[in-house]
Parts: sequence; structure tokens; C-alpha cells
Amino acid sequence: MEAVIGSRCLVIGAGALGNEVVKNLVLSGAKSITIVDMDEVAISNLNRCIFFRTEDAQAGRSKAEVIAHRAKELNEVAKLEATIGRIQDLPSKRFRENDVVFGCLDNVAARLHSNSHSYYHRVPYIDGATMGTSGKVQVVIPPSTPCLQCAMNRTHYKLMEKRFSCTGADVTFFEPKMAAEITTTSVIAAVQVREGLKVLSGKSDECIRNIWYYNGLANRSDVLEVDLDPECAVHTK
Amino acid sequence: MSVRVRVRNAETGSTVDMELEEENTVQEIIEGAAGYWEKDAGAYVIRKGKKLLRGQQTVLGASITHSDDLELIPDPEGG
Repeated sequence: MEAVIGSRCLVIGAGALGNEVVKNLVLSGAKSITIVDMDEVAISNLNRCIFFRTEDAQAGRSKAEVIAHRAKELNEVAKLEATIGRIQDLPSKRFRENDVVFGCLDNVAARLHSNSHSYYHRVPYIDGATMGTSGKVQVVIPPSTPCLQCAMNRTHYKLMEKRFSCTGADVTFFEPKMAAEITTTSVIAAVQVREGLKVLSGKSDECIRNIWYYNGLANRSDVLEVDLDPECAVHTK
Repeated sequence: MSVRVRVRNAETGSTVDMELEEENTVQEIIEGAAGYWEKDAGAYVIRKGKKLLRGQQTVLGASITHSDDLELIPDPEGG
């Protein structure tokens, strides 16, 4: 518990997953959390984001700032810092300043950036992703595990720079993907934070070593093995 | 030498048989199957049992053999 209280966490993305991850972190005792997001709250976010309110959308408030403000109500001594902007625009050293990084993103480009910079600075990276009633969690612990890029193929790269909203609306690029359901988001965020707590409490050996897939319709989850790609640029010195 | 495999659509349960050459890549299987089912633009991966196959691997390199069952899974990217 002391390790969790004294830890520094970076949460990238303040959408549905970001809301749930920050809530779980604060309630688990984490006191130093930085939240990064470039977006403002939209009405369509409200049905799956615990910290957002109608007035936030009406006032066009920053997602990161709203989460930082409201999560403090759960623990008033917690230090929550909001950074408004794209993760790609932040100095790389911001990764190094943290004990664990949580990826709560909606696009491949930002995922690859967070993956490679966390890996470079040897900071564990825990990525969550959702779509409708399914989702996945991958834990990257440098240098022992495969990274996100190891598991990607040409279909991922075709999606670069396209953004899949957690709500499917109020975004520049809309693809006809099924919006993530809050139950899916809750499950994925819970597993992300559970894995993060293992990392922070020195139990990295017990983390998911591969990719955990969740199918909420079939009531099924599977851990799929992924090999470290010998040609992956992230691992190449 | 060619191998015949069955690819299952994880979203619908339907299947398609594919004739592959040893030098075909997993990426080509993904794109072939996604094209056959006219999938939306999106990220997909292929699993063989408990193993997620890397896109650049060839049929030979991924140890795909005759009568293998593969599954095409949409890869979530939302947050």
C-alpha cells in the first residue's frame, strides 16, 4: 500500500477508460496522478464517464481538468495534475518521471508513441482498448515483454491518425465502429489498474505477460500469446 | 507446397476455407479474410489456438499447417 501511495502514475487519455482508471487509482490509494488529454467534454461522453457532467460539456471544459478536479473529491490529499494537449507534444522526460503509464487512448498513433517512449525510459506501460462489448489489456514491462508494436500489423497502420471515439460522436473522424459500453470500459479499466498495482507493489512477475482479450457477449476472456518481434524498432538498439 | 486452412469470423461464427502458399504472410490472410467478409475498416488480428500470429510471419514461419483452424478477431482500438 505504501508503494502505491508513494507512486507517480501517468494516465494518457481522459475518455471513458481514463475516467475509470483514475477513479480506480485514487480509490486504491494513488496520490500522484498526471492526466493528459487534448479534448473537451462532449454531451455524448456523459453516459460512460463517471466524472463528467452536463455543465462541463456546455462550458466546453477540458476532459483532463475535469477529471483532475472531480477525482480530488474522492481523496482530497491526492495530487492530480491535468495536462491539456496531445501526448506526442509532451517532452519525452514526462514518461521517465512516472512509475507506471496507463494508456487509455483512442488511436493507433498515440498508442505507438506512448508504447515506444515508455519502453525507452524503461517505465511499465499498461494499455487498455475497447470496442462495443469487447476489449483488451496489454502489459509492457521493458525489457522483458513484447510491446504493442510487436502485435500490430498492416491493418493497424492503416488506422494511423484516425480516431475512434469512445462515444462515436463529436469527433472529427468518425468510423462506424460500435461505441464502447460502460460495462466493457469498467472491466478493462479494472484490469488495467489491477495490473498497475501489481507493478507498483513489486509483483510484476504476476502481470499479464501476453494480451488479455475480453468478450462481454460471450462471457469469455482469453490470454493470447504474442512473440517479441525480432524486427520491432522499439526493441532494436 | 500449399496448405488449406479454415478461418473463422470471431464476430459471426462463419468460416471460409483458404488455400495458402508457404510464403503467404499472416497479413495477407487477415486482409483476404477481412475482404471476403467485407469488414469495416479497422484493425484485425489472427489467432491460432492460444497464439496471436504476427503480421509479417509467413505461413511457414508461423507453423501454419494443413487443416489448421484460424480465427479473425477485431482488435479493439477505442478508449
